[in-house]
Amino acid sequence: MTQRDPIFRLEGVTRRYGNLTALDGIDFVAEDNAYIALLGPSGSGKTSLLRVIAGFETPDAGRIWFQGRDITDLPAHERGIGFVFQNFALFPHLTVFENVAFGLRHGAQALPKDEITERVKSSIEMVGLAGLEDRSPEQISGGQKQRVALARSLVMQPKLVLLDEPLGALDANLRERMQVELRAIRERLDVTFLHVTGSETEALAMGDKVAVLDAGRIVQYDTPDTIYDGPVVSDVAKFLNRFNLFEGSLENGIFTGAFGAVPVTNPRKNKSDTYAIRYDRTQIFDAGDANLPGPALPARFLASEYLGSSIIFLFETEDQKTVEVDHHLSLGEPRPLTVGENYTLSWNPEHAIVFGKETAR
Amino acid sequence: MESKVLKPILAVYVGLFILFLYGPFIVLGILSFQQGPEGGPQFPIIEWSTYWYKHLFGLTPPSRIAPLPVGEALVRSLTLAFMTMVTATVLGVMAAQAFRKRFRGAGIVFYLIVLGMMVPGVLTGLGTSLLANNVVGVERHWWSTAFLAHVVYTFPFAFLVMLAILNRFDGSVEEASWSLGVSPMTTFRKVTFPLIFPGVLSAMLFAFTLSFDEFPRTLFASGRDQTLPLAIYGTFSVEIHPNIFAFGVMTTLFSFALLAVYGILMGLSVRRAKKMAMQEDIA
Repeated sequence: MTQRDPIFRLEGVTRRYGNLTALDGIDFVAEDNAYIALLGPSGSGKTSLLRVIAGFETPDAGRIWFQGRDITDLPAHERGIGFVFQNFALFPHLTVFENVAFGLRHGAQALPKDEITERVKSSIEMVGLAGLEDRSPEQISGGQKQRVALARSLVMQPKLVLLDEPLGALDANLRERMQVELRAIRERLDVTFLHVTGSETEALAMGDKVAVLDAGRIVQYDTPDTIYDGPVVSDVAKFLNRFNLFEGSLENGIFTGAFGAVPVTNPRKNKSDTYAIRYDRTQIFDAGDANLPGPALPARFLASEYLGSSIIFLFETEDQKTVEVDHHLSLGEPRPLTVGENYTLSWNPEHAIVFGKETAR
Repeated sequence: MESKVLKPILAVYVGLFILFLYGPFIVLGILSFQQGPEGGPQFPIIEWSTYWYKHLFGLTPPSRIAPLPVGEALVRSLTLAFMTMVTATVLGVMAAQAFRKRFRGAGIVFYLIVLGMMVPGVLTGLGTSLLANNVVGVERHWWSTAFLAHVVYTFPFAFLVMLAILNRFDGSVEEASWSLGVSPMTTFRKVTFPLIFPGVLSAMLFAFTLSFDEFPRTLFASGRDQTLPLAIYGTFSVEIHPNIFAFGVMTTLFSFALLAVYGILMGLSVRRAKKMAMQEDIA
């Protein structure tokens, strides 16, 4: 990826609601012309962050820079930042055409009628809604509403569009199609998308870069593959929903957990001692198998879940913790397992990521 | 099982309710067709006639019964109700809009506004009249002091109606408009107002009807020229003739016509509101 100039920058942005701190001094620099996914669990402050950038809410502290200008005190309608709502927020009393034309008609600069018509038409065409111009929002489907909301925003030619869980209200099928389309539409225009989502698959699939938000702070900002392979703290590993996490204790480079004591190298600074191994790096062996690649974790087989390209096997450890093993079918047929039987789970210790309060050896 | 007992009871209750609601009006309606000019305001009907309706419009030969002195009063009351309706609704919408954001002292301001409909009307009327006569030193008129008293009285109703409407209003369409570079002022005109219009209509209807038949406040505050309720009351003190009943039927029909207009306008804008609701359902 090439180096890009920042489109917007946050400096120590803080937002409190009473005693609750939704945004806790966020510093963030976003590249121009990029698709940035903002991933966070509910309550992490991701919607607050979006609303503060859009100007719907004022930060209690910190500055917001957009295209090199401090916009912290600028009202929303003077910012020129697009916003796509989860519930679409279409104007119910206007047709599709009038919804898209709204900003051009009633905005600050007066445009000639012909230009408005032309821009609205091409915007509607771009999102694939040609022919539906005269429908009212109640006469179109959820996916179509989403496109109208997008076209309405993009027709203003913003440099930054904020999308608040834009796919949350769509069904699974449509969601996947819109994922591809959102990316394609963005690439055609010189615009940055900041897409907020609570879904780790959506964030990893869509973002050129992914920012992970937790408890009002951005804990990691990187490319999807870097985040996938190397979460910086155990909470990120937890959101990704792809790691078996084991609590334990780390002392003098030895991690002691349910699978015994294992020597570890380069633990990452964290608020707890946690050992993480990806689902698809965890392997299944017979109980008592001596020929293991690494630590031995005794576990009872509970159930399996067929996902088409892979199978998820669910195990339960002696301390009642569920452990998942993701077996990709391109690796061949999985070994037959009996429900309720005990097996040993193991993995190559080089693939493990260890988080600890103690980092130096 | 329960509904088998409950249903008849509820049916009887509703029947009685309707009877008490419309009974007086039906009696008035029947008596307005009494024979004239000898027939009085009581049963039995001597002979059915439309005499009193003709009498109302001055279409009968002169008799000992003077025509009802309501013509000018009616115009005054309609004008006053219209003025009150516009003022109270504008103020109500603005105040309710202000209450969408929490501000310091919001609770106190709320109760101060609502107090306008709680304070006994006679006291407000008397107070307004004393204030005008003794403190400010202005003459009382239906279009000045009485108008003020009417606005103070109807404004809380309009405010409460609009508060309920705006409470349920999803502000994200306004934010969407701002994010498209449209100023808050234009956003209100082009987005908020069209969507809350059913509520505005209700507030207008409230203010109009409350003002149109307002009595205790107007009694003291209106000065020399009487409004319709005062004029009608004035005729009672002499002698009651069925021409009042005929007039009552006419004004009621007028009210129904007003309600019909309201219903039609409401139906049109509820169709729009439904679209709004459907959009919210998806969220």
